[in-house]
Amino acid sequence: MKGVELCDELVHRARARGADEAEVYYLRTRKLEAVFEKNDLQVPKGDTYEGVGVRVIRGARQGFSATNVLTDEAVDDAICAALAIAAASPEDPNHVLPEPSETRPVPGIYDERAEGLALEDALDLGRRFVESARGYDRRVTIDSASFVVQVGERAIVNSEGVRLSERGTSLSCVGMGFARDGDDVSSFDVEYSGSCVLADIDPEASGRRLAEKVVKALGATTIPSFKGAVIITPYAGGELIAEPIVFSVSAENVQNGRSRWAGKLGANVASGLLRVTDDPRIPGGVGSTSFDREGVPPEPLEIIGGGVLGHYLYNCYTARKDGVRSNGRAVGSDQTTPGIGTTNLVVAPGTISLDEMVRNTPKGLIVNRFSGNLDPVSGDFSGVVKGGHYVEHGEVAKPVKEVMIAGNIYELFAHIVAVSREAVTIGDMRLPYIQLEGVSVTGK
Amino acid sequence: MLDLLKSALAGAPGYAEIRYHRRLQTAIDARNGTLKRVERRTLAGAGVRCLVDGSWGFVSTTDVTREGLVKAIAEASDAARAGARLRREKARLAPARLGKGEFIYQAREDEPDIATKIGVVMAAEKRMREVSPLVVGSIVIYTEYADEKYIVTSDGAEAHIVDHKPSFHVFVTVGRGDERETGAKGWGVTGGWHDLMRKRDLNKMVDEAVDLAVRKLDAGYAKGGQYTVILDPQLVGVLSHEAIGHTVEADFVQSGSVVKDKIAEKVASDLVTLVDDGTMRGAAGMALVDDEGVLGERTVVIDKGVLRNYLHSRESAAAFDTVPRGNARAFTYRDEPIIRMTNTFILPGASKLDDMVAGIEDGFFLKEMGQGGQADATAEFMFGISEAYRVRHGKVGELVKGITISGQAFEVLKSVDAVSGDFELNLGSGHCGKWQPAKVDAGGPYLRCRVTIGGRHE
Repeated sequence: MKGVELCDELVHRARARGADEAEVYYLRTRKLEAVFEKNDLQVPKGDTYEGVGVRVIRGARQGFSATNVLTDEAVDDAICAALAIAAASPEDPNHVLPEPSETRPVPGIYDERAEGLALEDALDLGRRFVESARGYDRRVTIDSASFVVQVGERAIVNSEGVRLSERGTSLSCVGMGFARDGDDVSSFDVEYSGSCVLADIDPEASGRRLAEKVVKALGATTIPSFKGAVIITPYAGGELIAEPIVFSVSAENVQNGRSRWAGKLGANVASGLLRVTDDPRIPGGVGSTSFDREGVPPEPLEIIGGGVLGHYLYNCYTARKDGVRSNGRAVGSDQTTPGIGTTNLVVAPGTISLDEMVRNTPKGLIVNRFSGNLDPVSGDFSGVVKGGHYVEHGEVAKPVKEVMIAGNIYELFAHIVAVSREAVTIGDMRLPYIQLEGVSVTGK
Repeated sequence: MLDLLKSALAGAPGYAEIRYHRRLQTAIDARNGTLKRVERRTLAGAGVRCLVDGSWGFVSTTDVTREGLVKAIAEASDAARAGARLRREKARLAPARLGKGEFIYQAREDEPDIATKIGVVMAAEKRMREVSPLVVGSIVIYTEYADEKYIVTSDGAEAHIVDHKPSFHVFVTVGRGDERETGAKGWGVTGGWHDLMRKRDLNKMVDEAVDLAVRKLDAGYAKGGQYTVILDPQLVGVLSHEAIGHTVEADFVQSGSVVKDKIAEKVASDLVTLVDDGTMRGAAGMALVDDEGVLGERTVVIDKGVLRNYLHSRESAAAFDTVPRGNARAFTYRDEPIIRMTNTFILPGASKLDDMVAGIEDGFFLKEMGQGGQADATAEFMFGISEAYRVRHGKVGELVKGITISGQAFEVLKSVDAVSGDFELNLGSGHCGKWQPAKVDAGGPYLRCRVTIGGRHE
């Protein structure tokens, strides 16, 4: 049975058992993976998966149950469990399933060439990544790397008339490594590349980038403390820049009082240099999709434009609570109820080059990777800089170790002084280099 | 089920294992006056692993009929053969004490139904909002894994495992004007609902989380630098697990972690004995049999300051010519077993906590982990602290916030000059992440040591 047809059948059964409204989300995947450890192949892996998540609403009470055992008995059990949970839950008038709206397919999220790959191909692509990193410099160790090919289908049917399915492919390569020269061990670093399209994947380039980073981090020394300029690289920016933004524009966090940006639509929340969009329609984008976890089609949103807050991200529940329409940001799998998240988050690049940014910095720190603690509620962060570099007199002077940075990210958003032309795609995020002023840097 | 797995395994070439794992997971999440989500998930299937010509192949499937399992074995052995052409270092397996028979980790008594559990979670969340008018965000989450596994290997493991691991998280946000502070508590066990409730009083945890968050609103920041500190059992657990434990996982050792070739060397103060032990009854990392079918045993990692053992799978144990003690674990049937910790802790010493505090001229008393935390193969770590107090002239003083600690974990353990007689495992609420999650626990006594405090430079 095809995904949508199975969903049709289960929606029908849930209604017959007493659900006022019912939604069934279906996921089927085939995954091939090559796992490398310590510069060598560890294990080739294969997985086939098929599962459903059943959501029911009965008298304004919601229940959810999922199963990847698709026997008649098991899916009936899941429907009954969802109804039992609904019966034990309080009424909440904001539980609602969406009505159908027009969807448009996104180009480039399904690649036939990826569908045709075999496990041997995944092994070969992973081998090329590892050999490229090792070939760059023998001091490099790839601690672990994984090359994953995934093909799948997702489908959703609800009792209000939503009936959608989409096929997709994804390829991703993630590696973690360090360099060792005698007793000198560099920081760990990571490199990630991913796309829906095989032709976009370049394991050699990816391996080389990781090797360059860890070799450059050898010979790190300590530096004295200062308060001043830091340049946040795209990898560090995922955690330091993107995560707090995503947290604070989630309608759920806005409604529950945890977002600093509650009531700030249309207000300045950052320097005018900051522009952030969430774009579900990037061809081949890892986060691209024509419908969200509830079957709502998302459209591109300018979350922050010129430092001004433009939108919150909604699923149906939070949208109903605010009396607006969902903008299609429900996320989750067959095994979870819909949450809220982004599709492809893009921090728009600026106009100056990274080189110019460094040249304009008399004294500062390039934060290659951040290993620490950022409280997205208060914005306070504090943590160790991994693979960082000290900038002096407009030049990258030396790699540093045992350096911590601290500050409040929401306050620092106002102190973004430069955004680079260069940008890097890391999975479903795309970020430039971002320079902040006024960060506490603690050395030794 | 054991007979089915054994019959499917019969024709496999080389070494083969089948692990059938059925997980029933329940999650109840109440926040801000609403029941945000209640989910019940069934995730079941078989993970099949073959070792042919020194290479592994792993295949996971939901088809657990005899035909499905035989097909999975054929695919896994094909994958292993394909891998063998690429893999340089051939895998061998160390002999091991294998599990045979029934392993019921903790019998559950009178497990309440889902409606009762939903009611308790919602009542705790309501209480959180009523404790203080400053509460602007309230979250109470109950999570439960009810696992049943059958593990059969071609060299003799035949184990049936029943394992329940429930946990609670309470998380509060308080606000005043634009200021926000948070407080969190979490705990987990191996056992039933009542074991979890005995470990901690839910209402008390709610009250303590709110109280801490409210006090943080008025707390100041501290200046960073090197200090003598007291670490509480949870932080000792975090240090033991995150900063020390990962570096002694044999796969990390092989890739050049800081303790490579350091067996029999002095790596910590004489006062420090650190172990990993899957047999600790009721602890959240309890694993009497690991996912290779190997029986869990206590591994003494550091004995009175001297590094004695790494943590092993059967493959790494063969490479190091030693024995595995149950540290190869897989989170779901879709994951292959990899080297993981179980319950990792430092053994208690002889000092009294009061005396330890009295001996600090200028330092901090640190309790529980805040958000974030990481460590790497160099044993350099950084952890956020949930609750930090200044200590001056031997007296515990004011609460300070925004504190992190960092350092090199073995240097920190060398600086230990006092270990209390207390003992608690208190890291069982969450998961350890290493490609796949794992339920673990960790803890120990109170330690006095030197760390780098990260605060704010004003």
